[in-house]
Amino acid sequence: MTGARQARPAQPAQLPRILGNIHPRPRWTEARLLAIVALALVVGSLSLGAGLTGRLALHAPAGLAIYLVALAGAHLAQVLAGRRSDEVLLPVVGLLGGISLLLMQRLPQGLQTLDLGGSTLGLGDVQLVWLVLAVVIATTLGIVVRSDSWLRRYKYTWAAAGIALLLLTFVFGSDIAGQRLTLRIGPLGGQPSELLKVILVVFLAGYLSENRPLLIEQDTRLGPIRLPPLPYLAPMVAMWAIALGIVVVQRDLGAALLFFAVFLALVYAATGRISLVVIGSILFFAGSALMANLFPHVRARIDIWIDPFVDPLGTGYQIVQSLHAFARGGLIGTGLGEGLPMVGGRLPIPEVHTDFPLAALGEELGLVGVIAILGLFFVVIERGLRIGASAADDFRAILATGLALVVGVQAFIIAAGNLKVLPLTGVTLPFISYGGSSLVVNAIVVGLLLALSDRGVEPPPPPTDVRRWRDRLRRRRRAA
Amino acid sequence: MDGLLLMVWVVRLLFLALLYFFLARVVRSLLRDLRAAAREPGASLGRLIVIESPSGDPEAGRSFDLDAITTLGRDVNNAIVIEDPFASAEHAVLTYRGRSWYVEDLGSTNGTFVNGRAVASIAPLGFGDEVSIGQVRLRLERARSG
Amino acid sequence: MLATSTRRRPLGRTIVHVAIVLALAFGVLAGAGGYWAVIRSTELSHSPYDPAVIAASRTVPRGAIIDREGNVLTHNEEDANGELYRRYSGPEISHVLGYASPRYGRAGLELAYDAELAGLAGDPLADALRKFGTDPYDPKDLHLAMSWDMQRAAVRALGRRRGAVVMIDPRNGEVLALASTPTYDASTITHPDTSQAAFESLRDDAAEPLLPRATLGRYVPGSVFKIVTAIAGLGSDAVTPDTTYAEQPRAERDGLLVEGFRIRDGHHPATGNRRLDFIEATEVSCNIWFALTGLETGGEPLVRYAEQLGFGSPIPFDLPTAPSQVTNGSGSAPGGFVDDVELANAAYGQAETFVTPLQMALVAATVANGGELMTPRLVTSISGRAGTRQIGPSTLARVLDPDDAAVINRAMVQAVEGPLGRQFTTGARVPGVTTAGKSGTAELGGQGEPHSWFIGFAPAEAPTIAIAVLVEQAGRGAEVASPIAGDLMALYLEGPQ
Repeated sequence: MTGARQARPAQPAQLPRILGNIHPRPRWTEARLLAIVALALVVGSLSLGAGLTGRLALHAPAGLAIYLVALAGAHLAQVLAGRRSDEVLLPVVGLLGGISLLLMQRLPQGLQTLDLGGSTLGLGDVQLVWLVLAVVIATTLGIVVRSDSWLRRYKYTWAAAGIALLLLTFVFGSDIAGQRLTLRIGPLGGQPSELLKVILVVFLAGYLSENRPLLIEQDTRLGPIRLPPLPYLAPMVAMWAIALGIVVVQRDLGAALLFFAVFLALVYAATGRISLVVIGSILFFAGSALMANLFPHVRARIDIWIDPFVDPLGTGYQIVQSLHAFARGGLIGTGLGEGLPMVGGRLPIPEVHTDFPLAALGEELGLVGVIAILGLFFVVIERGLRIGASAADDFRAILATGLALVVGVQAFIIAAGNLKVLPLTGVTLPFISYGGSSLVVNAIVVGLLLALSDRGVEPPPPPTDVRRWRDRLRRRRRAA
Repeated sequence: MDGLLLMVWVVRLLFLALLYFFLARVVRSLLRDLRAAAREPGASLGRLIVIESPSGDPEAGRSFDLDAITTLGRDVNNAIVIEDPFASAEHAVLTYRGRSWYVEDLGSTNGTFVNGRAVASIAPLGFGDEVSIGQVRLRLERARSG
Repeated sequence: MLATSTRRRPLGRTIVHVAIVLALAFGVLAGAGGYWAVIRSTELSHSPYDPAVIAASRTVPRGAIIDREGNVLTHNEEDANGELYRRYSGPEISHVLGYASPRYGRAGLELAYDAELAGLAGDPLADALRKFGTDPYDPKDLHLAMSWDMQRAAVRALGRRRGAVVMIDPRNGEVLALASTPTYDASTITHPDTSQAAFESLRDDAAEPLLPRATLGRYVPGSVFKIVTAIAGLGSDAVTPDTTYAEQPRAERDGLLVEGFRIRDGHHPATGNRRLDFIEATEVSCNIWFALTGLETGGEPLVRYAEQLGFGSPIPFDLPTAPSQVTNGSGSAPGGFVDDVELANAAYGQAETFVTPLQMALVAATVANGGELMTPRLVTSISGRAGTRQIGPSTLARVLDPDDAAVINRAMVQAVEGPLGRQFTTGARVPGVTTAGKSGTAELGGQGEPHSWFIGFAPAEAPTIAIAVLVEQAGRGAEVASPIAGDLMALYLEGPQ
């Protein structure tokens, strides 16, 4: 094609070629929103400084500066790469991450430390490292991923990898507080169930988009209920089994609830059939009731949930303390750095940095702040679902929907746990809770959503399979 | 109540106010996006505006409404006829798939370019992107609202 | 060719449904946030389990509790670590003040007014503004109607016996003494060195010293309940003061047959052959007359009048109270009685009837105050930086006409001062003052000695003090409870008013 190049008429002026072909494209919405985020976080840091030291000064300004530079870098990278991806996601997630940074800087730094060549990083610094890494991961994925075939084509491989990961955790995981969630490889430790949820969504997107025509068909009758062809319900039963397996072996009620809710929502989104959701929910609740009868720890969780005030200093302690934190916060909160009194040298809420960040924020920012944070999460969900609804094909639509749900439903489950709307489970609050696994995996989700939102990615393969399915269905009908 | 405490509370409430200011701006941009999406399923899916055309056919400044499949080339059977010495008879086709535009080069002699980059076989096209066929430069625009 | 494209049903619609469900779910979260952060905010953030309250209690001196003569009953002391703890003026007041201990929580007024004493509670506006103040805590002082002297005298009068004394000014509901024995020394629970040992031994003590008998102890009332029956009978006009029953004299000898069950009474040698009217029946405490009056009145009016007096639900009071009952309500007869047998027995206080000493003091106070029941009050004012909030007298219920109250007043005077009544209430008479009262002996169905009761008031013409005395398993009312009541009323009436 060199001949064509010679014949080509003069092209519009270009930037000097530093990184190959650069076609910068301004992202004004993102820039404006990020400016507000930066301003808000600086004001938040001032407020935090005032709460902790009594002087109007920025608290730990270096950490905040590094984080803001990372966000600005992410913005610039996307501008330079000329991406037409979503411009709202990064600022919204960036603000949530910034709130997380302020919270971790505010909590006692000894809650989590990392020894690094002689110097010890405290909670705030460790979280900063993870946050910057998360920004880098999300941006890189958003820019680099131009094709989804690597996800689309190998869905069973992904599913197998996910289950292998789960089994590894069952066998080699270390027990922390009665839950086997953490897998350690050398110095690195992580919670595989965090990654598993993304793998699950990828698998489901592949499976559901491929089998959508068949799942919409209703050719099995079970009394008054019409079901899709039974073999295609097998994954549903498998998911049910996996979810309950997680409850039994890992004692991780939150992850099980998350997996199952996302699964049912995706099945509904793909098929539009509420009957499948109803049947799935009945199976889940029946399974849960069975669990509650068989396993005392599940039963105990539910009893605590129904009335934690029965034993406010014993079993109900955590949730009661969480509710007290919301109550102390009231409408506008105590101000950053002013809440969470130390009693006897300890914080009143154990595991506040992983399981109860919303309670801590509820105390210091009040109901007004909590609703703002819930609003930010809902914007993330809205963006994800919108990307799904306008995606070029079914696979991408279901994938984007699933990714949005993974974040949104998880945020809902832990927030509901903090507020005694659901039994308390140990999942993290995305983008806010302390924790490397959680931040990295949610960054992957954001990165994939950014990539999926880009109109410029590789076009989906032509949907050649329609006719094939139609023929197969016709043949089955004739046989019946 | 002393002055410092008053200042601190001003800062605290300002932080909360900024959170909501941010949310309001986000919601505004979301609504704009939704309105744009609501317009999309209109009659036209987009239009192609001629920016530069040395031969004068098509004339510069002209705007073509696009169908889901729009063919371009020198042959008179094309939806958009491009009278240019460097254009092939069946030069390229614009297709609207899912919710985005793609341009496909139909094996033309001199190639199709998007923003100056040669299209290997098929390339995505965004609103505002420039397509070059021979010496004719065209820009993809959103359909007129209304 | 390429644009044969996906003409399947688009996913957009179902995704919108998912979005709506999630929006509702997040709406629920916001609602729950509002519930805890606004609706339940004051209650939870003032609760003694709240860490902010606990943290404040270690450093912020609690408000004082002061009696009607100005004696300060609580003292804040500092331990070796600089943390504050409470000391109280004496064990006599422990059941009223309770305790405030970092380890064992709160009890008594220290619990009921914890937020005020800790300086957390104010009006909602002050609560909101508290955030903006430099010193967020404003501990308030409680001023009590109680007299430290009367309280000590009451506890001393009960001595080593188990029992309770309640003294109320019937005109305004001010509680002057609220004694329960055995008592305990709350200072040992709050003192950091003795806290654990003291609390555990008190908790395990079979005599239940931690139980405030005056407000939470429920006892068979025996004959003192006859005043409630009289209030219901006269109030509902089922009987008059002149009502007599033809079958009464014979029933005293042979027993009263109610639905096949025979109610017996000791045959009184002086009156046994006469038909008694209300005043005579009260003077000699005639079970038969009151059983018949109960039947005449009916179960439903009896319970209704009792409820006006405070039965059936906790009495509105500064401290927790146990509800008193006329019947356990399990029956299907009017008022919840099983049958007329239960009603007849309840009418003289010997069925499923259980009362607190505080409740019986209110019964006496109602008669003393011409039928108007005043809400009992321990705390009369709460003072803090922002000023003093008065808690004035209020009427709890208008139970009786003054005329009916006057008749019962006269009957109760007869029961103390009358030639026959005197024998049942030995020692209740306050010298030089017309005294009204009613003694009671509550049979426990063969389980040991009966409880000894006395309720009364003085001076009968214009009562300024009403009293209820209960001594557990002490024998006949005349022997134990009556002299305690007489001595305490005398002491009160002697003192400066």
